[in-house]
Amino acid sequence: GRGGMKGGSKVVVEPHRHGGVFIAKGKEDAIVTKNLVPGEAVYNEKRISVQNEDGTKVEYRVWNPFRSKLAAAIIGGVDEIWIKPGARVLYLGAASGTTVSHVSDIVGPTGVVYAVEFSHRSGRDLVNMAKKRTNVIPIIEDARHPSKYRMLVGMVDVIFSDVAQPDQARILALNASYFLKAGGHFVISIKANCIDSTQPAEAVFQSEVNKLKQDQFKPFEQVTLEPYERDHACVVGGYRVPKKSKIAV
Amino acid sequence: MALYLLYESASGYALFLAHGLDEIGQNTEAVRNSVSDLNRFGKVVQLAAFHPFESALDALNQCNAISEGLMTDELRSFLELNLPKVKEGKKLKFRLGVVDTKVGSHIHEVTKIPCESGDFIHELLRGVRLHFDRFLKDLKTGDLEKAQLGLGHSYSRAKVKFNVNRVDNMVI
Repeated sequence: GRGGMKGGSKVVVEPHRHGGVFIAKGKEDAIVTKNLVPGEAVYNEKRISVQNEDGTKVEYRVWNPFRSKLAAAIIGGVDEIWIKPGARVLYLGAASGTTVSHVSDIVGPTGVVYAVEFSHRSGRDLVNMAKKRTNVIPIIEDARHPSKYRMLVGMVDVIFSDVAQPDQARILALNASYFLKAGGHFVISIKANCIDSTQPAEAVFQSEVNKLKQDQFKPFEQVTLEPYERDHACVVGGYRVPKKSKIAV
Repeated sequence: MALYLLYESASGYALFLAHGLDEIGQNTEAVRNSVSDLNRFGKVVQLAAFHPFESALDALNQCNAISEGLMTDELRSFLELNLPKVKEGKKLKFRLGVVDTKVGSHIHEVTKIPCESGDFIHELLRGVRLHFDRFLKDLKTGDLEKAQLGLGHSYSRAKVKFNVNRVDNMVI
């Protein structure tokens, strides 16, 4: 793959502290994921091919934090994303599947991504993307009604939610009650404007966190997605956290 | 009174029989604590019957019906074949736990099988979902995901008005 990032051989790729995420060190650093389908870009993103010492090549895809809230959260220094190689992920608000494709890279061939999107327009792109990536199960359905897609989803380790709806906390809770294992984790992106545009962003984040706490979620951390997104926060935490491990956290 | 559970999976319908529930208590909290451990959960909930879907098309039809809260003929005959008979005027000796009240009321309307849902049933079925592939001996690791993948694609392609049977057919 001749992706952008000129001077392929000068780029060094190192593992990021989050499993399955890498840092490409060139003229400018970028976060990248190892392409599950080498030779193919999903949304015209840049690709970097790196030659190993034994001559084999590995292809990475550049992950743009302006286009992905999860990438923005990683660059923003989030402590844990819980999405890692082998993980089973339920992704709510998958849109066209750009971030989903990177999550698919991260979890790799032993992981699964159940990608839920209601809009038919972006759903088409999602379904097409999933044709090439067999660890992505596309689900065109309303995330408000997990009962409708209960036959398609197994128990998962992590729920990532980016639905940008006023009742997003309830949507996350409902899906967790069906599919998130006890001791599993959640990552939710909160856009203050989508919840209540009359309140200051920080107050909206706080009220969303309080809603989550009432539904057996235990928020561990909150990071802002500035400068990539305005008035956005990403909240990460546990679900039905066992009492004993509470001390450790 | 015996409690059966209906679990709808991508590879087929399953019936579980829950017994000895008194040991873990009839409340939601106690069930919550016991579902994580298959050793404990497997003692109270056991597979009673499984009906694998015949084809990808059959699976899609079942999934569409379940999604709309409807009982198909296949589900009806599976239930009537594997549950105790419902006799008019006699006191019922069992009930069927279902996750969705809509499909529950449709089952009850047509077959008179007494259905039940709620937090307690929901928790039990969470346990079934967690351990499902280990309850079914014939299901190998990855089989269920393969069924989910195929069904997810056909279900979703139908939603976005792609041709379900063709791989490359863009509709604009």
